[in-house]
Amino acid sequence: MRFKFNLITLSLLAISGAITGSVMAADFGVNKANTSTVKQEIFQCKRCPQIDGYSGTIGFNTAYIESDDIHSGNAFGTDKDGANASVDADLNYRNSTGYTAKFQAHQLGLDNGFAHLKAGKSGHYELVADYQQLTSYQSGNARSQLWYKDGVLTPSEHTQIQELSLQRNKAGLGLSYGRDFYQAYVRYDHEQKTGYQSSSIVTPRPVNFGLPIDASTDNLTAGLSLSGDSWTTDLNYFVSQYNNDIGALSLPYLYDVFAPAPDNQAHQISLSGQYQLSRTVMSGRLASGKMIQDDNLIQMSGNPLQNWDGEVDTLDGKLSVTSLLSSKLRLGGSVDYSKRDNKGSVWEFAQYEVNGITGAFKQNVPLDTERRGLKLNASYRLSSDYRLQAGYDRKEMERSHGDREQTNDDVLWAKLNVRALDDIKLKFKASLNNRGGSEYQTSELTSSEQNPLLRKYYLADRKRTAFEAKFNHTPTSWLSLDVTARYAKDDYDETQLGLTESEDYGYDINLGLQLDAHLSGYAFAGQQWIDAAQAGSQSFSTADWFADIEDEFINLGAGFTYTGLLEDKLNLGGDYLFANSTSNTLVTYDVSTPLGDYFSFNHSLKLHANYALSEEMALKLAYQYERYYDTDYAQIDVNTVPGLTTLGDLNHNYNAHQVMLSFSYQLR
Amino acid sequence: MMNKSIITKLLFGVFAFAYLSLSVQAAPWNQLTGEQLEQQLTEKFAQGKYSKKGADSCLMCHKKNDKVMAIFDGVHGNSGQADSPMAGLQCEACHGPLGKHNKGGKEPMIAFGKESKLSAQSQNSVCLGCHNDPQQMAWHSSSHNLDEVACSDCHIIHTDKDPVMSQLTVNDTCTSCHTQQKSDMNKRSSHPMKWDQMTCIDCHNPHGSMSESALNHATVNDTCYSCHSEKRGPVLWEHAPVTENCANCHNPHGSVNEAMLTQRAPQLCQQCHMDDGHASRVVQQGGSDAFGGGKSCLNCHSQIHGSNHPAGSKLQR
Repeated sequence: MRFKFNLITLSLLAISGAITGSVMAADFGVNKANTSTVKQEIFQCKRCPQIDGYSGTIGFNTAYIESDDIHSGNAFGTDKDGANASVDADLNYRNSTGYTAKFQAHQLGLDNGFAHLKAGKSGHYELVADYQQLTSYQSGNARSQLWYKDGVLTPSEHTQIQELSLQRNKAGLGLSYGRDFYQAYVRYDHEQKTGYQSSSIVTPRPVNFGLPIDASTDNLTAGLSLSGDSWTTDLNYFVSQYNNDIGALSLPYLYDVFAPAPDNQAHQISLSGQYQLSRTVMSGRLASGKMIQDDNLIQMSGNPLQNWDGEVDTLDGKLSVTSLLSSKLRLGGSVDYSKRDNKGSVWEFAQYEVNGITGAFKQNVPLDTERRGLKLNASYRLSSDYRLQAGYDRKEMERSHGDREQTNDDVLWAKLNVRALDDIKLKFKASLNNRGGSEYQTSELTSSEQNPLLRKYYLADRKRTAFEAKFNHTPTSWLSLDVTARYAKDDYDETQLGLTESEDYGYDINLGLQLDAHLSGYAFAGQQWIDAAQAGSQSFSTADWFADIEDEFINLGAGFTYTGLLEDKLNLGGDYLFANSTSNTLVTYDVSTPLGDYFSFNHSLKLHANYALSEEMALKLAYQYERYYDTDYAQIDVNTVPGLTTLGDLNHNYNAHQVMLSFSYQLR
Repeated sequence: MMNKSIITKLLFGVFAFAYLSLSVQAAPWNQLTGEQLEQQLTEKFAQGKYSKKGADSCLMCHKKNDKVMAIFDGVHGNSGQADSPMAGLQCEACHGPLGKHNKGGKEPMIAFGKESKLSAQSQNSVCLGCHNDPQQMAWHSSSHNLDEVACSDCHIIHTDKDPVMSQLTVNDTCTSCHTQQKSDMNKRSSHPMKWDQMTCIDCHNPHGSMSESALNHATVNDTCYSCHSEKRGPVLWEHAPVTENCANCHNPHGSVNEAMLTQRAPQLCQQCHMDDGHASRVVQQGGSDAFGGGKSCLNCHSQIHGSNHPAGSKLQR
């Protein structure tokens, strides 16, 4: 089934064209101003302060960290125990000729920090330079007998401690140049990724190991934008190259056992634009791209290729129209299209595992997808206190070689905004989503393997019902209260094996306080539950085992800021956060058995005192406490399970502290 | 001792604001309905009776207001910048023509923010008068525009530090409305948003985009590839749900499971794989065998995002 895109678009335009000219909302744009009587040459600004030169602050931090787990480095910005130093900056420069510059830096010198520089003359040219270091720490306590060197994972006699963390160093440079109606821009980014991540190889027994990461990505984007009174357009070209310095991994007795991500590149050219006709606005984009991967393949018997000609052509397009037909009614709609065409060639490759259909050889299966979407929406203001929105969204997805060639999602939704009560705003939202599609059939490629009663959850028929209610109360200018409640249910009514149903519900409450000019505070609380049920069949017939998964999350927080103490010299502040994530799985197969503990909790407390030594100089003393605990029943010791080698128990349980003293200087 | 002082402050705060809120209500146009106000401002805008001296006329009364004067700290108050409102019609470029506002203060001006009775649409028309550039190309069809979010709900103009323009504060602005996502970033696994190492606008464009969920790139997967370029491929042996949509298995806002997975292994895998081999096997005890211990299914099928090994059809190599 195809949409009649053109008819819908045309009719929308026709309606909007016919009604434009009736009562409209105001347009106070300066380009619409009646300046016939303005004598701008005698406009004055003698009372305006002239701010030229540098302003802002620069800060120097010294900190002391006490922690016995590198995981705390995620919160502190570095995993290094003991003393560290870093620099913060927030600087502005401007002069009377229109030249401006901004520089922001945060925790420069630590493993997580950034710096942004933006300089130029507005409306003419701008230079942007960015640097960011981002490190994520998983564990400093992984135990492995495999050590990577020059493409070989060398076994050592004893297990040794290994760190699992990933560091990204990213630098970018951008330049834009433009005048009244055009702007040309170019931006280049380079990112280097290094570290070790948890992975696993089959030797043929499974052995978990630290996969070395040493890769870089280069991105270049360049474009030209043009704009007129009622239109804008942008032509953009993007190219990205990924290079992995880690090649095929071998064991001394098993060659090329693991192929890390191959080098790849992507190109995309896109043309987008917007056109405004009175109160009707049309916007659209067409993007054509290629993803190419022709890295050398591992050479082995049964591989006919030196390198595979992997290429995916993509085409993405969207056209939207929205029209304010009157000050009360808005209509809108959009159509979109997205195609992924995998042009990679098909060959037969020898497999180590014998496949029931083709024996020891198997053909690669390049996957294609095609997506079409339609959205229609209307918004009507019933009165100044009530506004109703409603819409219909449809998404059609076609895929090659899938268990279901085509799926379609139809969504009906409505929102009601109510402002009838003083200081109270209410928002209600409801949606009904139905997914259906072509006949579900086990793919030809796997028909002898999959249980015919299985319905893969992302392809299966599904009915989703969702509600949301938001309540915002601002009884006075110093207090605001927001309460949101949500409920959603997914029913996979045709599924006998696989995910059969899922329920997701919760609430959150946010309170904001500005008690006086000096004291402000906030508090929030939220909970969420996600319950899912699935069925399986060990006997390869009808369902004979069931799993109930109950996720629960609770999040609490509060904080305050107190300024103006000691004759406006001392400010105090504090933040506290608690989060607890739990997932309990109960498996029923004759008897019901819980799978074990799988939860994490975190207490985070931050306190700070800021003391102004003078108008320019200030000292800040800050304390941060991180309590973190997580456990996972699957985390077992290296050799607990015969035949399986793990990286050991990677659960966390720590108390970590940081004390920081900062000196800041304010430029005026 | 501390409690007593907080209670005193709280009581003081209540009285102070009760008094202040009474005095603030003195503006004559507060009695007007939104429609009446808009009507009056539209007429005033069409008449175009701008002041004789520009900003100086306004500052005769408003100079003592720190919030007003903070406009001069930022770009909108920089008269040296050719395209700044302060280099044009000055205060009246945004707040509309002065008219008789300064004669007894009975005529309204265009005002922004939570207290303003002017519709978001009309408030935003002021900003869009200048900011009608390619960055805002998808604004009109964006969910923020359809939900009548005003520019001033997120942006602060009378300052040199608009919080949404800083990596350290933009997430706070987004999550003040998107409270579910605020919670999500504190779950067991999430992108490093709670430490502001990543921001909402790394993936989404709050001014709308031509992609679903206002993403910065053409598709969900393209957005993920912008940081996870190693997953881009294509590879010889693809895993269909991965190729189709990363969000089939991951919730990028956060999850109670590791690796932002919507469910964990082996249950997640068994929601799609139920063959006549070991994938159908019931896993009743976590940590007691290779199916429920270590990396579960990924102990062997570690190349879950796809494999480029000629013999990698089972995503093991």
